[in-house]
Amino acid sequence: MPSTPPSTDTAAPAGTAAEPGQLGRLLPWLLLVAGLVGSLAAFVLTIEKLASAADSNYIPSCNLNPVLNCGSVMDTHQAQVFGFPNSLLGIAGFAVVAATGAGLLAGACFARWYWLGLQLGVTAAAIFVHWLIIQSLYVIGALCPYCMIVWAVTIPIFWYVTLRNLCAGTFGRPLRTSAPTTSGNHLVPVTMWFLIVAALVLHRFSAYWTTLV
Amino acid sequence: MSRGLKISAALVAVFTVVAAVILSTTGTTAEPDTTSAPGGSAAATAVVRPDSHRLSSAPQGSPVFVEFLDFECEACRAVYPAIEQLRAEYGDRISFVVRYFPLPGHFNAERAARAVEAAAQQGAFEQMYQRMYDTQADWGEQQVPKDALFRSFAADLRLDLAAFDAAYADPATAARVAADLADGQALGVQGTPSFFFDGRRFEPSTYQDLTDAFDAALD
Repeated sequence: MPSTPPSTDTAAPAGTAAEPGQLGRLLPWLLLVAGLVGSLAAFVLTIEKLASAADSNYIPSCNLNPVLNCGSVMDTHQAQVFGFPNSLLGIAGFAVVAATGAGLLAGACFARWYWLGLQLGVTAAAIFVHWLIIQSLYVIGALCPYCMIVWAVTIPIFWYVTLRNLCAGTFGRPLRTSAPTTSGNHLVPVTMWFLIVAALVLHRFSAYWTTLV
Repeated sequence: MSRGLKISAALVAVFTVVAAVILSTTGTTAEPDTTSAPGGSAAATAVVRPDSHRLSSAPQGSPVFVEFLDFECEACRAVYPAIEQLRAEYGDRISFVVRYFPLPGHFNAERAARAVEAAAQQGAFEQMYQRMYDTQADWGEQQVPKDALFRSFAADLRLDLAAFDAAYADPATAARVAADLADGQALGVQGTPSFFFDGRRFEPSTYQDLTDAFDAALD
């Protein structure tokens, strides 16, 4: 069936060659490490939330100064959009990401539907995280360090899963050009993404940062 | 090193340099040009600004008494009753000016200053100023944000809460507080309370020192 291979991941030869090129080596490690870091941050946030729920005078470990302060962020309704702490979503979601990375390292070959599901999950996560960034910066007016770790891992997870799926043809036809994945070009968009968020953070709290200089 | 990695590293380097330059220049432009005008009347312009808050109805041209204060500072709280008494005695003849000087070590000091500034935008500077000191024991020296408490003060004062919330979160309010702080730093203020009388640094050690200085200026 010559017309089907481009649309199915399983058409790729089995074994270590299942994931193409540079991304094939990078992606499993990225998913494993970023997934573990994200899980850990979400886990710590949940513990802090439980501790402050049990004791209203509890001072979270991430209350560093008036701007870097998760106490004021955790108490907002934005921190429990769905009626429970957002961090519970993180514990579940990042665990799946880490497990996917570990699976790839172990030589697993995931079907197209799995990659589509992962894409759906990381896209939702990226949208949610960017909404939270806006809320944290412009509505709550404080930064929560553990939440920022979650921002920092979600962005590359989304970018690299999307890039992988584009190149592997998970969405239909694989990307013709290999330009985005060769010679480290894939680093440029994700770096710019980080810098834009960093610029927004610096700009929003510039009045505070300058008092520290 | 691959090309993408080089480009990324270059982007990060450029960003860091630009951010450092912008932060350091805004830090210095926020400070008034007092360095070029040592002492005298030129320094007096930075001790009081047209938008500085006044706590008295003394006529234009009256002697000016300025306090750089931090609502979370216990020493400021300790002199507060004396300042209130002075205000009652001299408020019609001496201008009492308050400038924000929230110390970085006080967790809620900057928030309190913003709450007072937000109240000031609704004409309730004095009431919020008094409320902060009256309640300092309830919220001072704590490492958790007291936004909700400060908001409840605004509610008690029957302020427009939507406008208060907007002002409290507005970067312009934070900038207004930061501008006072920068003026203080430029004037050499390091701690609170710091006083200036008629444009000069003034360090009273007793209540008598204050009344003597006031009386001398009024004679």
